[in-house]
Amino acid sequence: MAPARPTPLDSWHAAVPATLFAGTALLTMLAVQPALVGLSLGGALAFSLLARGVRATARGLAWQLPLLALVCVLNPFFSASGSTLLLKVGPRSVYAESLAYGATMGALLVATVLWFGGAATALTQDRLLALCSRRARALPLVASMASQLVPQMLGRAKTVRATVAACTAAGPRPGLRDELTRTSTMLLTWSLEDSVERADAMRARGWESGRPRTSYRLERLRGRDVAALAGVAGLLVICAACAWQLCASWRFYPTMGELGPWWAYVPWAALMALPCLGRVSPFGTPAPPAREASDERA
Amino acid sequence: MSALEFDRVSFSYAGAAAPVLLDASFEVSEGAFALLVGATGSGKSTLLRLAKPEIAPAGRLDGAVRALGTDPRELDAPASARAVGYVFQNPDAQVVCDTVWHEMAFGLENLGVPEPQMRRRVAETCNFLGIEPWFRARTAELSGGQRQILALASALAMRPRLLLLDEPTSMLDPLTEKNFLSLLFRANRELGITVVVATHAPAAMVDYATCALVLEDGSVRPVPLAELATEAPLCAPGRDGAPAAEMRPHSARSSRQNDQKHAVFLQKVVEKARPMTGGTVTETEKDALLADDVWYRYDRAARWVLRELDLAVGEGEVRAVVGSNGCGKSTLLAALAGVARPARGRVRNALAASQALLPQAPKALLSCETVEGELMAWSRAGGYGRAEVADAIARLGLEDAAGRHPYDLSGGQQQLLALEKLLLVRPRLLLLDEPTKGLDRSERERVARRLAQVRDDGATVLLATHDQGFVRAVADRVSLMFDGGIAATEPADEFFASSWLW
Repeated sequence: MAPARPTPLDSWHAAVPATLFAGTALLTMLAVQPALVGLSLGGALAFSLLARGVRATARGLAWQLPLLALVCVLNPFFSASGSTLLLKVGPRSVYAESLAYGATMGALLVATVLWFGGAATALTQDRLLALCSRRARALPLVASMASQLVPQMLGRAKTVRATVAACTAAGPRPGLRDELTRTSTMLLTWSLEDSVERADAMRARGWESGRPRTSYRLERLRGRDVAALAGVAGLLVICAACAWQLCASWRFYPTMGELGPWWAYVPWAALMALPCLGRVSPFGTPAPPAREASDERA
Repeated sequence: MSALEFDRVSFSYAGAAAPVLLDASFEVSEGAFALLVGATGSGKSTLLRLAKPEIAPAGRLDGAVRALGTDPRELDAPASARAVGYVFQNPDAQVVCDTVWHEMAFGLENLGVPEPQMRRRVAETCNFLGIEPWFRARTAELSGGQRQILALASALAMRPRLLLLDEPTSMLDPLTEKNFLSLLFRANRELGITVVVATHAPAAMVDYATCALVLEDGSVRPVPLAELATEAPLCAPGRDGAPAAEMRPHSARSSRQNDQKHAVFLQKVVEKARPMTGGTVTETEKDALLADDVWYRYDRAARWVLRELDLAVGEGEVRAVVGSNGCGKSTLLAALAGVARPARGRVRNALAASQALLPQAPKALLSCETVEGELMAWSRAGGYGRAEVADAIARLGLEDAAGRHPYDLSGGQQQLLALEKLLLVRPRLLLLDEPTKGLDRSERERVARRLAQVRDDGATVLLATHDQGFVRAVADRVSLMFDGGIAATEPADEFFASSWLW
């Protein structure tokens, strides 16, 4: 069996990438200013290319870019404000400011989606669940079961449908609605039947034994993680302050405002580049040691 | 001290008339590897569960059950979980968590074991069972054999002194079964854990066991291991009523006894290689199924599951396809049934309009509320009525269970019910995927007898299986599948006579 896929930022405790991505996505959603959005989109795109690969990113962009264009083009028709008249379509006037607002919002949407997609590759479900409080006993277990059982159910659905299709001696296939009802009932009964044995398997291993539960944590929060966490938090605060200033001096209507001083963008640009830097040395996963000869078979 | 002791134990389920156990007495000494043998439904699971109060069935219990010298019912839940480990039959249903590491730690977390100790136990168990390469894998991606090893690991991580296993290998193929058993054997000998395995197919386990008990009619008696070492041939009528199965004695050779002299070995390798280089199938008019240079994969990025596959099955033939797990047997059935479309090559199925497929899991076919409803489900298309269904229920011996939910039947009965459901519509082509998986001897014989009837009625049967005894009993010809293609096809007698492995 192939080893689990390496994930970006996996040499850090999950709290570090979680804070970084949550903060970055939140600031991206709140800072509606073209230059900030542009930087964020650039960072998100670069991280997606590095972490998810060209093919997966291109597949995503295939629907994200048309979405951006659609928001950009449609906005002038909903909000006909601005001062620079570009053209008139029937009774509606299309202004440059209105077009710029649409483009900014579209880019913001795409950047947010890209950040979430990137975060999902870095923060696998088990890493996220490990961040849950120790007292949250049932929630991680339910989430963990669901992520195991949903693929199992989909696989079974495929088997059930294939079996019906293969049994031609039993007459023509039932209609789509009948088949869906039948399949879903079967899958539900099947899962319930399994759950009886699963509940026994849980009890046999001391579930509900009355003892306070402990938890096995795959990752431990070390000093360097705390330092990195503090660094990320500090950078987020500085970025928020700068973004606040830049957004305050910016407006779309009736004429577009000032972009502000260049140095106010530096922390923001650093934040957006940080996940990418995390993929490469010195922040990222160190190169694996040379394999021993006996490992070659694995 | 004995690890497990039953002293005149009688048990009957709440509301049931007949007792499951009647004056059962036996003793398993500490450090033993004991087999508990009995047919499906003989009460093996009930017996094991009585030693594990968290999962013990509700009913009336008389007599004394002692695990490691104490009545398990007197232990509190953590003490019982620590002392006695339990591994269930179904690899799919007993995994709780979504990752291997979490599944292994689950029991220890429940017992409140401190984290440093938990790390040590998980690490040691992983080292012992060789799980490290897939320690961070997701459980949904594991094979059936790996899931069962994980279940063993999760039980061992709690360091029990007594380990009870209920048919742990009945859903595994022979190779995976041997792998699992060798790990279990090491746990027994190297860690000193007492092992009690309930099974209906003890032959594979005899080499590892130190003693065996038979559960019959509610009572338990010891049985010599030598009696369980070989399996008598299955009884099934041959073609034209000849007792075919009995004419083909089972070559019950263990790997130790194999003739590995160079000349013989080389000759057999050459014989095996010949059909591989022999080239393509020739199409005859009587072929019911023909696959010509079929290639198939599930995804464009995935590996080829079927490659250069040529197969011809004559009308009225019973053909068995054998081969290791994952060699593509199920995919081949799907491709021949027209459910999976080959990426290259062609499939011709002259009986496509009247075919039926029995999937590995009979639950994929059972969709009604009652046994009778299940058999009536296809009555319109099959042109049969209640009389035929009543006959079928009688054949299955389920007269008392006609109104019960199919899920209330045992796994073996479910399999037989699913097969009977298919046979009621009289398919001309029957595709069977592991039809005897998890079945005990008498149930396998029933399936074999039923197939003999179908064959005598002129239907064509293609079955994919690991069950050599069953293949010997029913198949006319055997195809060996390897690496996505057919490596050899021979008449059954010839195949087994010249085989090095089977």
